[in-house]
Amino acid sequence: MPGQVLVVDDALFMRNMLIDIFSQAGWEVVGEAENGEQAVMMYEQQRPDLVTMDIVMPVLGGIEALKKILQLEPEARVVVCSALGQKHLILDALTVGARDFIVKPFQREQVLEVAERVIAS
Amino acid sequence: MEKEKYRSMFLVEAAEHLQAMSDILLRLDSDPENRQEIDALFREAHSIKGMAATMEYEETARLAHRLEDDLDLCRKRGYMSAGEINQMLAGVDLLEALHDDISQERPERSVEFYLQALTLEERSEGPVSRERSQPPPGEEEGTKIAGAAEPLLIQIDLVDTVPIAAPRLLVLLKRCSEFGIVLKSWPSLEHILSDKVDGRLLVQLRPQLPTKEIHAQLVGYSEVEEISFPKPVVSTGLGARPQKSASVRVSTERLDQLINLTGELITTRYQLQNALKQRHLKDLDDGIGQLSRLVKNLHHQVLQVRMVSLRALFSRLSRIVYDLARSSAKKIELQTDGADIEIDRAIVEELVDPLTHMVRNAVDHGLKDKDVGVISLKAWRDRDQVLVQVTDDGAGIDPQTIRRIARERGLLSSAEVKMVRDYDLYQLICQPGFSTVDTVTGISGRGVGMDVVKTAIEGMGGLVLIDSTPGAGTSITLKLPLSLAIIRVLLIESDGARLAIPITRVIQAIEISPAEIHSSSKQLMVHYQDAFIPLLSLRKMLKQQKGGKMKELPLVVTEVMGRRIGLVVDRLIGQQEVFVQRLAPPFDQIPGCAGGTILGDGQVVFLLDLQSLLERRKKRI
Repeated sequence: MPGQVLVVDDALFMRNMLIDIFSQAGWEVVGEAENGEQAVMMYEQQRPDLVTMDIVMPVLGGIEALKKILQLEPEARVVVCSALGQKHLILDALTVGARDFIVKPFQREQVLEVAERVIAS
Repeated sequence: MEKEKYRSMFLVEAAEHLQAMSDILLRLDSDPENRQEIDALFREAHSIKGMAATMEYEETARLAHRLEDDLDLCRKRGYMSAGEINQMLAGVDLLEALHDDISQERPERSVEFYLQALTLEERSEGPVSRERSQPPPGEEEGTKIAGAAEPLLIQIDLVDTVPIAAPRLLVLLKRCSEFGIVLKSWPSLEHILSDKVDGRLLVQLRPQLPTKEIHAQLVGYSEVEEISFPKPVVSTGLGARPQKSASVRVSTERLDQLINLTGELITTRYQLQNALKQRHLKDLDDGIGQLSRLVKNLHHQVLQVRMVSLRALFSRLSRIVYDLARSSAKKIELQTDGADIEIDRAIVEELVDPLTHMVRNAVDHGLKDKDVGVISLKAWRDRDQVLVQVTDDGAGIDPQTIRRIARERGLLSSAEVKMVRDYDLYQLICQPGFSTVDTVTGISGRGVGMDVVKTAIEGMGGLVLIDSTPGAGTSITLKLPLSLAIIRVLLIESDGARLAIPITRVIQAIEISPAEIHSSSKQLMVHYQDAFIPLLSLRKMLKQQKGGKMKELPLVVTEVMGRRIGLVVDRLIGQQEVFVQRLAPPFDQIPGCAGGTILGDGQVVFLLDLQSLLERRKKRI
């Protein structure tokens, strides 16, 4: 099995899509969160191998959540997801410590390529 | 400061100083205690430092400053050790690479690793090695430091379709930092964060992983088109080629001559106008005579401006031989002759790669089994041509080996193999993919073979002649035109059309009688010198109408793809100097046509490129 993944996105549609992509490829989806606060909480409980994190979310945004997760676990592997137009948000997230990024709209191969690469590094 | 205005001036001058440094260092290698040479070297470094600092080329200035400091020590001490000479040559290489960066308008590469390498030496060996009172003959102190400080340049090119490049480059840059200490990157981190990027990332780092491993770690990115590891400092060839400079230095004396000529031309114009007004034919005739003399003179003078000596190229090749001798632990003596021969600078630029390859071949193949050898580099002028020859005193080429390979690869039939003369056989090594060596070494034999040399030389309208004596050595001669723009051609006629063949491509123009023609199977042959050469009809090649019977057949003996052929034409008209112009696209794609020129009577004449014409024919068959 490639690994355990936590899917974070405020849109149910996006979460379902990512969950499908991951489970079909043999990943274990250990949880889904719809905002940053939930994400940090679930990360602390589950300690998954990988987190896919949307950047723009209510309650607590992706970058803030990323910072908190990295405080819990400096080696945490977080991949941010964002739309094409949010280049600067992606750059910020990468500067903070995200391992890689996925651009929406998702392509199955792209998601898995990034996930597998991050896990392998 | 108006930096742009002075940039090209800086480039020309710096190139001269670098050339001088390189030359002096090679001389010091055999005479390391020559104080005058060390003094001169110091002054060259000093000049570069001053210029670079004024121009605010920070890295260049830093490095030149360092070299100057080191040389100051050597100067006071009165000698340079072999290791120091080597280290200094590496420094000059780096300066040349920086020069290249500046001329390409790239940011200067970092010189940090070079400066640190020397610091390392100081640390590990202490001041003793630099202040040693005894000259250490032949000691190689520079080499191990160079190895420890070898920086790696990683070049990553993204595919064009990557939607957002900056974040991708940031991920890759971070990834690279896991492979070692990043010294510098282009674009810099700041530029990536402010989104000033294109699809390329260059990272210079001191690696902690083998290059292979780094490559393996980077291949998993589908957004990455290509990963390469360009050499940051290329000590032989690339970084140091004679510059394709936009500006040319002209002596004031030459300029005065040009101005005087222009003055005379103006006077002649008035004479002619006057003669025309008065309908004075004698004066008109005199004036035109005067005019043609002046134009010829002007042409000569202007051509001279474009002429450069082969000196820079020769010293570049000397350096290559020096490096090759070092890396292959051979003792190679290089003899040069004719470095003062002048040739069009465009040709010199085109000669760098072919000659580099030939010299490498001479060391790698020619002197393969020898520890001591002589390579000679000779240039001389023969009327309108310049000949450049590379000779080695090595093993030579065994004609039997070529015969075997030619038969194996189907280049010649068994019958042809028996018939072909050794001389013609040697020309076969210029066929693409022809290599008599199975092993690939670091020096040559990497698939870039003599065919590339031949293509380059023939592209300039030149010829490659190969001669070899087994056991005594190989000699390769390049026959080159003096200038690319104005060349001497042989004018011929074929089915009413006049065509031109560069004279450098013509071995002889003769007339033969039909009785001299032999037929061997389907091919018509003629005896020329001591061999049979095939006859080809130009009319047929150009798909023109068949010609009638002729009493005498005009023949142009030439060499195409390493083989002599007799080209049958309708008429030999004569030789002439013409100004060749390239055809505008898409007409430059027409096979068989290398350009065009306008004759005195206004007629447009095309320059025949037999090579491409025959290649096309071969493909069709």
